[in-house]
Amino acid sequence: MAENKRNPVKRPEKRQKGPAQKAPKGAARSQNDWRNPVRGWLGSHRDSAVQAAIRVLRQPLSSAMTVLVMTIVLALPMGLGVLIGQVERLGVNWQGAAQLSVYLEDQVDAAAADVLRADIASLEEVREARLLDKELALVEFQQHSGMGDALQQLAYNPLPSVIVVTPSSIEGGASALEPLRDRLAALEGVDLVQIDLLWVERLTAILAMMERFTGGLAILLVSALLLVMINTIRLAIESRREEIQVIKLVGGTDAFVRRPFLYIGVLYGLLAGVLAWALLIGGLAWLNSTVRDVAALYQSGFELAGMPAADGLLLVIGAMLLGLVGAWLAVGKHIRDIEPQ
Amino acid sequence: MIRFEQVSKRYPNGHQGLDRLDFHIHTGEMVFITGHSGAGKSTLLKLIMCMERPTSGQVHVGGQNLRDLGSDDIPYLRRQVGVVFQNHQLLFDRTVFDNVALPLIINGTPRDEIGRRARAALDKVGLLKKENLYPIALSGGEQQRVGIARAVVHKPALLLADEPTGNLDPGLSAEIMALFEDFNRVGVTVLIASHDLPLIAKLDHRMLTLNAGQLLKDGE
Repeated sequence: MAENKRNPVKRPEKRQKGPAQKAPKGAARSQNDWRNPVRGWLGSHRDSAVQAAIRVLRQPLSSAMTVLVMTIVLALPMGLGVLIGQVERLGVNWQGAAQLSVYLEDQVDAAAADVLRADIASLEEVREARLLDKELALVEFQQHSGMGDALQQLAYNPLPSVIVVTPSSIEGGASALEPLRDRLAALEGVDLVQIDLLWVERLTAILAMMERFTGGLAILLVSALLLVMINTIRLAIESRREEIQVIKLVGGTDAFVRRPFLYIGVLYGLLAGVLAWALLIGGLAWLNSTVRDVAALYQSGFELAGMPAADGLLLVIGAMLLGLVGAWLAVGKHIRDIEPQ
Repeated sequence: MIRFEQVSKRYPNGHQGLDRLDFHIHTGEMVFITGHSGAGKSTLLKLIMCMERPTSGQVHVGGQNLRDLGSDDIPYLRRQVGVVFQNHQLLFDRTVFDNVALPLIINGTPRDEIGRRARAALDKVGLLKKENLYPIALSGGEQQRVGIARAVVHKPALLLADEPTGNLDPGLSAEIMALFEDFNRVGVTVLIASHDLPLIAKLDHRMLTLNAGQLLKDGE
């Protein structure tokens, strides 16, 4: 007490400013156990978090609106990202099926074709070579192309024999396969060699475009989310102007005033992140039944794998961070400007 | 405890709040500031709280020249001072207990100690039974006592009051003043701005009389 009278401005937590200020000594100091400031600080954070929760719950309707807007804004780019990721996975599977079709000249007979197939199979760059002679090719074509009737009208088989070549590596895409194609094309009895990798490359290019589109969309929507957050927190600050003045009057620092608002931002982010996660899980399941139908038509067992848990956690953490950043941007100067009158 | 040296405060609109004010209040004193409204009573208190800065001159509080305080230091000055206002400045969405505990939460008092000290302060102003009520449920005199409990809960060395009896009837006003005298008796320096001259005259304390920002009279 006596110490206080002599020197009323003491700042135990922070650096001392000005020559007139001295650290408390003797009895005053021994009361200032190091645990007390830490406990006090933790307690203050707990109070701020509780305050934030109370403030959010006191206005359930407007809080729900804010959270829902944030949810949609988060779910949209995240959902697109997840979808693209899954289609990419499909594309990688299909790349394993990349093939070169070696069309043989019409006069090559079955025995010569088989010798040719064995020659090709022995090449280092070739994993597998399979002969599809013209009769077999016709049957396959009739079954799968939907033009079986038209083919039966023809008096002869228009299809050539084909050796289907699976390269041992498809790294580097179609251009890397060009030397192999040239070698195969130079072989006796080969009419034409086609690389069937091209459409996979097109798919990859389209996916890359979609990815970039989603990235751009995400940047725009994240900016929108920050704006929503800033506006919400500014309104919250404005509605608490008097309280802020009282707190500053009894010695609350800017940091103390700021803290509940930062917690509000984090809380909104948490709620929106969890809701967006749930929305994506539900949405993917809803979409999956139709995806299965489409895949079945292509004789594929493909289906969406659902939302990976790691992505969901990342979404929630990211949303909390965004809430914090938005709240931080909103409180910055605003709180410093509110002074007791 | 408080020293004003040639302190002037001129507002941007040209109004002269204080005009070359000189006085010294010692530790443990109880002092009234009187004067008609606009004489500079509130301005004087705001300068002590660093709510405003003087245009010229120097204000010392507890040996600290307030000129040397940066805006980051001001909260720590205010934690050493208790303030009571005419309009109470209570938070109406928090209970009486939470209002009184606010300065303790702000200065990082441990939780178990907050309860003990806030209840002690409420007991002192006779409102211990109403700690769970919201301020709106209290009478004007009770609200003012909550404000006083909040001002003293962190045991400040200096207690400031701006028209603490402004809206109260004479009986309640006398009770409030008696509370301030109690705090003064245990060593707290008390500075009260009031224009309730009949009440002040009954109490035997030093009185600073302001007129148009100047010190008109300093004495009993």
